[in-house]
Amino acid sequence: MEPDEVIDAALPWERVRRSRAPRVPHLVLAWSLDEPERVGEVLPIPRPTAIGRGGPLADDPFPRGALHQLRPGRAIAGPPITSARIGRQQLVVEPRGEEAVHVRSIGPARVRVAGKVVTEAVARLGDVIEIHNAAVFLVTSRAPQPASTTSLDFPYGAADPFGMIGESELAWRVRDAVAFAAATSRHVLILGESGAGKELAARAVHGLSKRRERTLIARNAATMPDALIDAELFGNVRNYPNPGMAERPGLIGEADGSTLFLDEIGDLPEKSQVHLLRVLDDGGEYSRLGDAVARRSSVRLVAATNRPLETLKRDFLARFTHRITLPGLAERREDVPLLLAAILRRTARENPQIAARFFERRTGEIAEPRLAPDLVIRLLGHPFTHHVRELERLVWLAIGTADADYIGLTADVERELSESAESSTDTSELDRDTLAKALADNERSPTKTAKALGLKNRYVLIRLLKKHGLSATESDS
Amino acid sequence: MSILQQTLERTLANDDTFPTKFYQRLFAAHPELRALFTRSTPGAQNKMFAQKLTAIVDHLDDATWMKRELGTLAASHVSYGVTPEMYPWVGEALFGTLAEACGEAWTADAERAWREAYSSLVTAILG
Repeated sequence: MEPDEVIDAALPWERVRRSRAPRVPHLVLAWSLDEPERVGEVLPIPRPTAIGRGGPLADDPFPRGALHQLRPGRAIAGPPITSARIGRQQLVVEPRGEEAVHVRSIGPARVRVAGKVVTEAVARLGDVIEIHNAAVFLVTSRAPQPASTTSLDFPYGAADPFGMIGESELAWRVRDAVAFAAATSRHVLILGESGAGKELAARAVHGLSKRRERTLIARNAATMPDALIDAELFGNVRNYPNPGMAERPGLIGEADGSTLFLDEIGDLPEKSQVHLLRVLDDGGEYSRLGDAVARRSSVRLVAATNRPLETLKRDFLARFTHRITLPGLAERREDVPLLLAAILRRTARENPQIAARFFERRTGEIAEPRLAPDLVIRLLGHPFTHHVRELERLVWLAIGTADADYIGLTADVERELSESAESSTDTSELDRDTLAKALADNERSPTKTAKALGLKNRYVLIRLLKKHGLSATESDS
Repeated sequence: MSILQQTLERTLANDDTFPTKFYQRLFAAHPELRALFTRSTPGAQNKMFAQKLTAIVDHLDDATWMKRELGTLAASHVSYGVTPEMYPWVGEALFGTLAEACGEAWTADAERAWREAYSSLVTAILG
């Protein structure tokens, strides 16, 4: 906003502009030896802040910061830090703009910033501040968020009623978008890469909608044989197309009054997209194969794809009033520790042997996992390409290759992290000519070309091709 | 900060194995105590010990906190089968481990402060 701009506070949009609060650096607790249950809590740094064990001291150099359970429109300050290895006065953290902090160690514990032992350093967005064997903080930046429009209420850091985990700004933005879409009966398109949680979001849309009493019908469009897609979707009358065929209501008929979730909609041939247009209109009109009578279905379609939007026909795409884009895990890395904790808890519940080997037991009960901070720190910096699914795989790899009684950064996990980080960072170096030549050398096959270029998968290649105005045949899809 | 806080912070910062060494020393002198420590894994026990000890040292001047926490601590210790003669054993193991970890910082003043604090703590617990 220009300094001499005049604001008319009577106009609501002007009020919003005037009250826009700047972003403020925050530290998210990503690992704690003594207080693992507080992982995910957030320490705002709006001004110079002292951090240490216990409550305020008379000689604190600055007011003492507190860990908060921070959600849109709500901040609950937690009790003082009790970690034994964090000094009574341990850190002074000062904001440096909206996305960085200056860290000064004033306590007995060793402090590392971005992996280096320091007494003073600047930590930027995404950097990790580590108090040796006591706590790990991730530097993030947040703006005060208006209260969420969802009425979801669940314990801080836990899975919401639909299984979504995350307390980051982006996680809550997704929850709001899901709730907004759910409140209407319009069709929804969920966009996100493989492993980002598209089915979870679809089930949440259904679960929050008026249709929740009816069963959600879910199907993966990529698994339907081309020749049978129409029969699958619209059903058929008896003896059609062949004598002896039973009558089938089709997915559209089954989902009447409910929600139809079609995953991998991008794999639906254009012809079938056209066939769906009419039923997606307000009337919901369709016919079973072999039937002259038009039927109506009050179906709500929630579709998901990890393909670029251009792969869908324009008029088909236009039927989706709501679009929900799911962020990748690397965009909300502050949620990684919460997801990690949830995966480990589930693993312990399902596998008593793993629980016995890798989890602490307190007065007979399974308690927190023995989780090494180095694994958490590496995961916080990892450019996930397969998101939650990849995190889950890495956790299992860490468990499977552990040679002691704790879950840490084994050589295999290290190798896996390094390899996938390499393949996901190379893309910027691939120019148009390299891509065109690689395509020509690999019979224009996206899968072969992606492999030859060392890319994570063919979708990464397809995105790159689009960026450079190139295209490939989808012959091996 | 009190001399107790200083010595304890220094110990915990310099030696990650301090709680382990404390239990090793305790069990070496009194092997029969091992049977009392089976409900929790050693890792959890170590964390609880370090955290509780630090919290007590931080709250020595806070009578309300001490009364509440020590009441709970006393009740749980009785239910675990802890008897009054065991408290001096724990004290000696604690002072010995602290002395070893602190090195030169374990002065006569520090030892006196720890012994006095521990003695008043035991008095409060045993009522």
